[in-house]
Amino acid sequence: MRSRTHRPGPPLTLVENRQGSGASDPPGGTPGNRADGRLDWTMLMIRSQAGDREAYRLLLEAVTPYLRTLAARQINNRNDVEDTVQDILLTLHTVRHTYDPTRPFGPWLVAIAGRRIVDGLRRQGRQGAHEAPFDPEHETFATPEANLVENASEARALHEAIDALPPGQRDAIRMLKLEELSLKEASTMTGVSIASLKVATHRAMKNLRKLIERRGVKS
Amino acid sequence: MTTTSSLIDSLVADAKPVRRLGPPSVRAICWLLFAVLMLALVAVGHGVRPDLMLKLHQPAFVTNVAAAMITGTLAALASFIASVPGRSRRWLLLPVPALAVWISTISYGCLTNWVNIGPEGMSAGEAAQCFATLALTGIPLSLMMLIMLRHAARLAPTPIAMMASLAVAGMTSVALSLFHPIDATVMILMWNFGVAVMFLVVSGFGGRRLFGWVALKG
Repeated sequence: MRSRTHRPGPPLTLVENRQGSGASDPPGGTPGNRADGRLDWTMLMIRSQAGDREAYRLLLEAVTPYLRTLAARQINNRNDVEDTVQDILLTLHTVRHTYDPTRPFGPWLVAIAGRRIVDGLRRQGRQGAHEAPFDPEHETFATPEANLVENASEARALHEAIDALPPGQRDAIRMLKLEELSLKEASTMTGVSIASLKVATHRAMKNLRKLIERRGVKS
Repeated sequence: MTTTSSLIDSLVADAKPVRRLGPPSVRAICWLLFAVLMLALVAVGHGVRPDLMLKLHQPAFVTNVAAAMITGTLAALASFIASVPGRSRRWLLLPVPALAVWISTISYGCLTNWVNIGPEGMSAGEAAQCFATLALTGIPLSLMMLIMLRHAARLAPTPIAMMASLAVAGMTSVALSLFHPIDATVMILMWNFGVAVMFLVVSGFGGRRLFGWVALKG
């Protein structure tokens, strides 16, 4: 798995000719620069190990864009890329004493970056398994206008469920709950006793709950 | 969330001079010298097995001890080299040939001794002594390895921890062969394989946590 995720980094032209870097510095030039004017990361790293803060800052600022490119090749999310870059910089800081000046700086940096990028990918995988991104369509608003569609579909479902009830229960629900008649009014309108209406309403509510739950499971 | 530039600022502010790690071979030699010291101390405290001179004339025994020692040495070297970022992971294959020889001699010796002595040829006292030898050599060597390799915590802890465990197991096995007085076949088998497997399993599970703990203390 490691070999799959750890692809070789971009070509490291900065370390190839490092043998001549120290000797070929122009006399008045910055010691951290190579003959062609670019920063020599190896020299900067050696000076950083000795506690040279200016060199260390130059080095970290120089490697950051490179690390970002390296991480962005394998990690899609911009925030995750930045997290991984920071993770690499922190690791680099923690293990900066393991750099051996007789060996090239590039592979050392790429090895550290590779580990942290793999970690970043694992983190991304773990989060992806449990979390879903919050898209605009997930958003909801408190105003009733924004929820018209949902209300309409819910109302239709409720009406369908009511239609599916036995006639006695259906009438009881319509009169008492939808038309909001009182028990007495409903009783005089239908000629059914108040007690029977109460029982019918109770049973209707129970049935409706069942019907709607079943529908919810199906959909 | 801190931005990358402010992280760089804080890292730069924390940039004290650091002492570089020595060359891996030198560090491996240091650890091996420590192992030899431990073996010598155990030899003084416990005494070598009474039949050591006799056993040294048996090719199977000599091969076993030599293979264990070479495995331990090469595994130590491999773990120190591979723990440095940027060095090839192929170094971890270095002790494989010696390990193969070691394991083959263990099983061979075990089979022949099984027939000669039988599994009931050991007592509780022998087991306790054997365990004491094991703990006396194994624990300090493991701790030493852990401290010397703590920088691997943030890099690739699992393979390095496994390789380091193999080094400790090899050295511990040498100690057992030299100091353990009787051929308790099941015992030797259990320790030789058991120690290696136990270290490998434990370090496989807790490699990161193990090094992380020492890195925090260190």
